[in-house]
This record gives sequence, C-alpha cells and structure tokens, in this order.
Amino acid sequence: MLLGLSGLHQDGEVTFEAIAGSGNGDGGVRHGGLLVRLAEAMWEGEPGPLAAVRDELLAAAGADVLVDAVAVSANFHMMTRVADGTGTPLDPGTDAASVNFRDEIKVNNLVSRRHVPAS
Amino acid sequence: MPTYTTELPVRDELDAAHGEAMAEWSRAGTWWTGTQRLAIVAEVRRARDADLLAPWESPSTVDGLIFDGYPLPDAVVDVVWRLTNHPGTLTSEWHDSILGRGVEALAYVEVVSIVAQVNCVDRFADALELDRVSMPEAEPGEPEGQAPADAEVRLHWVPTADIGGPNVWRALSGVPSELKARSRLSTPHYLEGRAVFGDVVSDRFSLQRVQMELIAARTSKLNECFY
Repeated sequence: MLLGLSGLHQDGEVTFEAIAGSGNGDGGVRHGGLLVRLAEAMWEGEPGPLAAVRDELLAAAGADVLVDAVAVSANFHMMTRVADGTGTPLDPGTDAASVNFRDEIKVNNLVSRRHVPAS
Repeated sequence: MPTYTTELPVRDELDAAHGEAMAEWSRAGTWWTGTQRLAIVAEVRRARDADLLAPWESPSTVDGLIFDGYPLPDAVVDVVWRLTNHPGTLTSEWHDSILGRGVEALAYVEVVSIVAQVNCVDRFADALELDRVSMPEAEPGEPEGQAPADAEVRLHWVPTADIGGPNVWRALSGVPSELKARSRLSTPHYLEGRAVFGDVVSDRFSLQRVQMELIAARTSKLNECFY
C-alpha cells in the first residue's frame, strides 16, 4: 500500500506488476527493474546473481544507491519476521485500503494472511 | 572503530547501528542471558548457512544438530530455524506448539526480535560481501524477566502492551527493550517505526521513497509476508 501512496506523489504512474517479480518491468520506478532483481538476489543468496545485479546497479545508479537499497531490503527481512513471528494482523486502515490490489499482487492466498477480527 | 571494513559508502549511522546491535545481543536481555542471546545469533547464522530443512522438519529432531549442554532449549532452536528460513509458513497452531514446549510467551517475543534483527544485519553484510559482524564474549548478568503491567494478548499471537501505533509497531511491545532495539536498527535502514505511515513521500538517503517501497514490497512478497 505504501508503494501506491508514495507513487501518487511522483510524475509517472507507479504500477504493482514489479512486486510479482523481475521481468515485469520497472513498475514506473527509477531503476525499478534492478532494485527488484537486487531484492530477489538477496533473498536467494546465490553469489553469482547477487554479484551481477550489484555490479549493474552500481554502474547505473552509484554506490550510495546500492548500499541504501541493500539496507532497505535487509530491513524488510527483519520486519517480515517480526510480523510473522508475532502473528501481526493487518491494520484496519491498511486492510480496507489494500483490498483492490491484494489480488493483483497475489498475496491473498499466503499462509501469513491475517486480519483484525471483526468486533 | 568502524564495524565494517569496506570502500563502499556505508553510512556512519548504519555502521554504528550494526556494531551496537551486536553489543546489545551480548548483554542479558529481559528473558535471556547474554550467552543465550549470542547463541540465538549463532543459531541464525547456522540456520542460514546450513542445507535447507523443509518447514516441517525441526532441527531438534535431526541427529547431530544440537549437542548436550547447548545453551538454548530445543524449542528455541526450532523457532530460530523456522523463522529464519520459512517465516511465511508460521501459523498460530505452530506458535501454540512452541509455548506448549515450555517457552514463556514473552521470552518467545525476545527470540523473535533477535532472530529478526540478526537476519537484517547479516543479510546486509552478505549482500555486500562484507564480513559479518564478529561476535564478542557474552556479558555477565541475569535477565530481569519483567513484563509491562498491561501486557496481554490482544490482536497478535503474543502479548503486547497498549502503546498505540501500527500493529507491527506494537508487535514487540511486550518486551520494551526489544521494541527499542528493533527501532534503533530500522531507523538507519529505512524509517523510524512511527514515521512509516506518517510521511509517504519524502526521499531518504540516496533513494526516492517510491524506490524504497518497491524494494520493501518485493522483499516482503519473497518472504511471503501478508502484512
């Protein structure tokens, strides 16, 4: 959802296809294709692909962007474990606001799907 | 003395946060000793570097993985491996089974916090081919074992304090020192917790906010995290 909200404030249109994986374009985000490939290579942990995308991002965007992009992805390896280790449900505001694109990004069938129980 | 030796432009606050995190893990926490907390750090590293076990395989049932006199209960070793390698497969029934094996509810929260933080710090180092932060000797001291007076199970599987904010912010609130530690680490990586939903447009570091959110979304999807 934050991708959608932050994308409202830039010139081009931001789309959600890139979340589904590399090969789906850049999502309307500068260096988006490379950033997605970097996140994937970090998750897979294979040295070859990781070195390749690191070099490409370094050449295209510079060392500061490489380090900061790695830092953001690493942060979400932490936050996902906090959320899923504690059984954190979606916040009600996020829940309602994300209905329309949850299906598009294919997260509705995840084991980790949790909503705040209706009171 | 920097935590990392590298020519890459690792920001000072990020470098310092990783060094401080390791120092924090070596001290007694609220529920675990410094020795046990460092054992959790080492166990995350062992889980990440080992041949992958399937989600339904518990390391405590694999011969040779846990030796006699190990500083962590078997159930905690199982939590560390499952949360490190298969975070998207966790269920409330699995969580109940861990508590049923004798792990206190808030002691479990501290384990989750450390595992999550180590995954952050080590994955950062690994991705940039930096040496992982070295582990010091454990500091002496005993855990206090104190819970916030208002900690109770509300929306999460685990007890939380009534502190307000997004649900993921509240997730570790049953162990306030861990909420602070996690937040100290998040701030130089991404944003301070309460600011996440407050300002969705400002650029940070060398990245546009929309670039940060794309990385965040893809990483979360890879980890099969609905939140």
